[in-house]
Amino acid sequence: MHQYFYLTAILIAFATLRPSVASDQIPGKLPDSPVAIVGGTIHPVSAPSIENGTLIFDHGIITAVGIDIELPEGAHVVKAKKMHLYPGLFEPYSRIGLVEISAVRATNDYRETGQLNPNVLANVSVNPDSELIPVTRSNGVLLNMTIPTGGLIAGQAAIMQLDGWTNEEMTLKSSAAMIVSINSDKDSQTLHEFLTDVRRYEKSIQANSPPRHDTRLAAMLPVLSGDQPIIVKADRWQEINRAVAFAQNEGLKLIVFGGYDAPKCAPLLKKHDIPVILSSVHRKPLYRHDAYDAAYSLPKQLQDLGIRYCISGYGRSSSYNVRNLPYHAATAVAHGLSMDDALKSITLNTAEILGVDDRIGSLTTGKNATFFISSGTPLETTSQVKQAWIAGRPVDLSDKQKMLYRKYQKKYLKD
Amino acid sequence: MLSLLRILFAGLVSLIIVQFASAEESNSKQVEGLRQHRTRVFAITGLRIIHGSGQVTDQGTLVVRGSKITAMGPDVEPPAGADVIDATGKTAYPGFIDSYAEVTLDAANKRPATAYWNPQIRASFEVTSAIQKTHLAAEELRQQGFVARLIAPKEGVIRGQSALYSLGTDDIHELILKDHVALNGELTIPRRSGDREVYPNSPMGAVALARQSFYDAIWYREAHRAVGIDSSLALPEKNISLEAILPFVSGKHPVMLETSNELFALRANDFAREFKLNLILVGSGNEYRRLEEIQQTGRPLIVPVAFPKAPNVASPESANSVTLESLMHWDHAPSNLVRLEERGVEILLTTHQLNDKKEFLKNLRLAVNRGFSSDAALKALTTTPAKRFQIDDQLGTLEPGKLASFVITDGDLFDGKTKIVETWVQGDRIQHDQDEKVDLRGDWKITISSVSQKNDLSLLINITGKEKLKAKIRPDQTLPKFQDAVELKAISQEDSHLVGQFLGDQFGHRGVVTFSVVLGRESKEWLGTLNWPDGTRSSLAMSANPLGIEQSKEDAEIKKSESTDAKNIVKNEDKAESDEEGKAEQEEKQKTAARSLPASFPVNYPLGAFGRIELPNSAAIVAFKRATIWTSGPMGIIKRGTILVKNGKIVEVGKGIKIPKDAIVIDAAGKHITPGLIDCHSHIASDGGINESAQAVTAEVRIGDFLDCDDIDIYWQLAGGLTSSNILHGSANPIGGQNQVIKMRWGSCYEDLRFKEAPSGIKFALGENVKQSNWGDEHTTRYPQTRMGVEQIMRDELLEAREYSRRKKEYATTQKGLPPRIDLELEAVAEILTGERWIHCHSYRQDEILALIRTLDEFEITIGSFQHILEGYKVADAMAKHGATGSSFSDWWAYKSEVQDAIPYNGAIMHDQGIVVSFNSDDGEIGRRMNQEAAKAVKYGNVSPSEALKFVTLNPAIQLRIDEHVGSLEVGKHADLVVWSGSPLSNFSRCEQTWIDGKKYFDSVEERAERKVILNMRNTLIQKILDSRAPMMNAGDEAHDPTAEWPRHDEFCEAHGHDHHEHGHE
Repeated sequence: MHQYFYLTAILIAFATLRPSVASDQIPGKLPDSPVAIVGGTIHPVSAPSIENGTLIFDHGIITAVGIDIELPEGAHVVKAKKMHLYPGLFEPYSRIGLVEISAVRATNDYRETGQLNPNVLANVSVNPDSELIPVTRSNGVLLNMTIPTGGLIAGQAAIMQLDGWTNEEMTLKSSAAMIVSINSDKDSQTLHEFLTDVRRYEKSIQANSPPRHDTRLAAMLPVLSGDQPIIVKADRWQEINRAVAFAQNEGLKLIVFGGYDAPKCAPLLKKHDIPVILSSVHRKPLYRHDAYDAAYSLPKQLQDLGIRYCISGYGRSSSYNVRNLPYHAATAVAHGLSMDDALKSITLNTAEILGVDDRIGSLTTGKNATFFISSGTPLETTSQVKQAWIAGRPVDLSDKQKMLYRKYQKKYLKD
Repeated sequence: MLSLLRILFAGLVSLIIVQFASAEESNSKQVEGLRQHRTRVFAITGLRIIHGSGQVTDQGTLVVRGSKITAMGPDVEPPAGADVIDATGKTAYPGFIDSYAEVTLDAANKRPATAYWNPQIRASFEVTSAIQKTHLAAEELRQQGFVARLIAPKEGVIRGQSALYSLGTDDIHELILKDHVALNGELTIPRRSGDREVYPNSPMGAVALARQSFYDAIWYREAHRAVGIDSSLALPEKNISLEAILPFVSGKHPVMLETSNELFALRANDFAREFKLNLILVGSGNEYRRLEEIQQTGRPLIVPVAFPKAPNVASPESANSVTLESLMHWDHAPSNLVRLEERGVEILLTTHQLNDKKEFLKNLRLAVNRGFSSDAALKALTTTPAKRFQIDDQLGTLEPGKLASFVITDGDLFDGKTKIVETWVQGDRIQHDQDEKVDLRGDWKITISSVSQKNDLSLLINITGKEKLKAKIRPDQTLPKFQDAVELKAISQEDSHLVGQFLGDQFGHRGVVTFSVVLGRESKEWLGTLNWPDGTRSSLAMSANPLGIEQSKEDAEIKKSESTDAKNIVKNEDKAESDEEGKAEQEEKQKTAARSLPASFPVNYPLGAFGRIELPNSAAIVAFKRATIWTSGPMGIIKRGTILVKNGKIVEVGKGIKIPKDAIVIDAAGKHITPGLIDCHSHIASDGGINESAQAVTAEVRIGDFLDCDDIDIYWQLAGGLTSSNILHGSANPIGGQNQVIKMRWGSCYEDLRFKEAPSGIKFALGENVKQSNWGDEHTTRYPQTRMGVEQIMRDELLEAREYSRRKKEYATTQKGLPPRIDLELEAVAEILTGERWIHCHSYRQDEILALIRTLDEFEITIGSFQHILEGYKVADAMAKHGATGSSFSDWWAYKSEVQDAIPYNGAIMHDQGIVVSFNSDDGEIGRRMNQEAAKAVKYGNVSPSEALKFVTLNPAIQLRIDEHVGSLEVGKHADLVVWSGSPLSNFSRCEQTWIDGKKYFDSVEERAERKVILNMRNTLIQKILDSRAPMMNAGDEAHDPTAEWPRHDEFCEAHGHDHHEHGHE
């Protein structure tokens, strides 16, 4: 019933639409000079923390991280005493930019009609002025993979930086992954038949007898070649088995999304080096007889089993509360995961699994200057994010909610 | 009427029957043509007679004349002219009564002109008015020994009146044993099939409607009585449904309520107590799960014997998802009857729930193997229902004067091998083995004599198989070149014919030979015909061949060769073949034996994983020492403090407290202790549907009618430090149902979940949900459709309730006019006006918040709490002035229009304006980590940590008006507290212990051990299933649980974080 009414709800067209309004935050401008953040504790994630450290970036790229680093001439210095530096948190799976008000159909752009939509690209519809974006990044979540949903093949996900005048500016990597659903053996079969068509299509290209254009088939070629991974939602043991069997049979690169029963499939996942996007830590046990903390302890279990994983908060919120991503990792710490591993699971692990760790994921020389300054670990709710940069551009950390806060504080100001 | 006659003339009638049975008329039917007067006098001799009263006659005679038993005993002589049946070696039992069956009758849907306004109340419907003979399924049931069956209508809440039928062969007129047996019903409805406009559409609504209709019946009686005394009064309505309820309200006649599990049985009892009904429960087979409480109802229980198939554990993957609950249910279900017997519950039996009625005796025997006494089983089939249905003058025991409705078996009824040979119903003899086919399995000799053949040809045939026959054939004497027996091309048994075909080639006839044999029951020598491939015909005779086909072959081969090797091989083959059937029988025996083993583990509460064998003990004195204590009270945070608990209450809190010697000491050094967390908005622990959504006002429905103490969410939230929760009706209507505050006393029955000191409350709701904005295009007509209408309907309802109260008061003092009708909806709203019931109102926008405040001010009502109150920060001053409190989400927003301006600073702003603020979950998952929610008040708006913690402790307690008892660690309050591994506001902290009323309900260390126990239990039961080769469900299937179909969240609260519906491609 819930499903049914959700669907009907989004089918309702509102005659009076909320006019498309822009968020009030202004995208950052790339500094002309190098920037040095000094005096804070740097958490590179890829290396041990550096107290009283210095981080320097120039033209959007980190040029130095360490202690007692000489500041380049003309560098703009930001003092960060008692503060902490972290790489931008990275949500690997959300609808940010594709939805504004989920109950209002006109604001939803995440689900194309039909079962096979490999050709649609999430990044081209991301609304850079969505009010959800400033709210998300103001808690340190600076990176996000935006995903389409629905059908057997929903389309191609894109890794987005959560600031920019246009979605082109925001796009870090388009066509980062193909979102696929396999809910039954019948689905596997349908997809197999589709892939067979793709292979024929590929063959005729190779045979120098170009076929008539077919955007769907053409869009699948990078998947077939293994350049683009597929992401398949699979939580239960059988579902994971099915997804792995499918990927192996078809020779595709697989990332499992969900992953509740992943520890039970450890040998299989390790043998084929299949990573898991855990979604999410904040969820109830899937089986009544499981331990109450079965999902809370999943990251620790995967860590110990040596399965590659990262954490998504999608299972709790697909868009408007992506900002709570670090708290999923925090709960994993309460249930056994180390702090360092927890941080990695929402930064570097994510970048590695999605194939962008050459540019983001850690505070390392040569990577993008995508990071934030916080009063404490972002895993604690009570910590406050003070400043942030995305690829070297300073981020306006205000958002609609803070503005309303300030506005109504004025109402109650006593003269 | 029938019953009345019977009561008046019972004695007389039986006397007449005994004496003049042969001349009786039992039918008013006009006879056309020649009259028939078959003599129906039988004397069954040599019988062992089980009277049913405890008495047994060996070698007795039973005389049946017409429909009655006229004589019975060891020395009874068969009357002259009687048909004498020799039943030596057989046993007679009183005929069985199937105490419950339900049928769908179209006529029940036709509503009489003066029926109750709601079609779910069908009290005036009588099954006797519409039933047809086929509904009785008499033949199938007679085979199981049944002679009578109670038939009840199937649809509706109050469904109509049942009747008891004889399972005979006569006209339906003559089969009615008793009508108006009971008023039947079930206090729920099936999960709606999408209809949100029809009331009721939730189990809560079904109960409310049933209660209202019974109150209406009482009013109806009083109102008509009043008019009888004073004819000047206004005439009350004529209502046949209410009239029909009246005899049952008085408790004169029984009300029979079907129940889908043990909790529904207890709820039915609650209903019956409210109206002092004479209740008969139709059970579910799950009663063993709450035996104590079921026994305490003292109600007779009609028990089904449908036992579940084993869950599918055939593969590691499928076993992985099988719950311990379903494994334990499989294990315990056959012991349900013995458990009930031990408790002295009055048991009646039914074939209800059995898909295959043939399983009845088999399952009952299994229950007997599990310890259910055969005496009790027989009583439950005979004397108990006969008495309970007041038909013991006709049925229940074997006695002269009673109906000749009995069962003849070839042995002890509860022996697995015993067959029911005959069932007699009202003097009609129905022999069951007649229907059975002749058993052809085995070896036979076929002798073919023909004109064309010089000598008779003799063949040996071996037949195997049960449903589908298979056969091999070979010559009696081994022919030259003849290798092996020939497999028949086809063989089948039709009625009294055996028909077969085989290739004649090896017998010297190229082509297919066909033959048929006419089978008779009496002898084992049968004649038949055979057609050769050339068209010539032979006659044949078929008779038993004791040697067997392979034996003959063996003889033949011995003649040919003396080789002992060959002999050995053949012997082994022989053994294998003839053993096949024995093996099957053996297997069946083993399966029965395995299933007869007692359940492996004791029942826990609730059944399954993390259930308790017993509730936690209450130590007289408990001391928690050296902890950082967040009191949420005036003492603030105490470092290295002590809490002393005595008899479930806090007696001391602070530093330097002397710990008594006999105290149980919890050393909490390095730990933090907080009050038990409280959730002011939750929808767990209820299987009543959460929303009764068809009407704009449903103040009459009560969450408390459907507390589900078995909901595992209770345990999961307990493990997160939650000790109390406000279970609210959903937001489908401006005035929704009544809420229930609970304590998370996991393992208790639902009555003990209630927070007894909590005052009553009710859900109100504003905005998009109640004006059906997001329900779909077709929902555009129910009033209200705007926030303007919402404001008006609340005002209207409050005005009506005010007048309602005044009318009632007036009548109470003057006794003038018609007695007022109890209106459950207005009763609840009237309690708001008197301040006994608190409003908890779902709200978002500032305009609607203000509108409600103004309305309530007008009626001098103070609101209990605004729920969600996402724009409370915009009108915090007005809220404060009214005295409103706010229970908010910490940070939800954006998912629908009215939450666009929701901000996480809302709590802090309201708090700063002096409003009592709480953060709630409205979500079973968030309810497990409310401490993390509290931390958001620090993050967004800089509320101090100790004040932030109050958002989930003291403040919700104040909002629910239970702060006198819980919410802070202060002397005199309940000892509801949580031990944390670190600061409660840290995301890195875990709940280690949760205490309620001074009893430990959760302990993370004990939980670790419990997981191992659960693992072991699961493995043991999975092995038990695999070992016994019990039939399994299909992989992924679960036993149907109707309560699992109802949502446990507010499905009208759009999209807030419930993302489960967006995956896949539905």
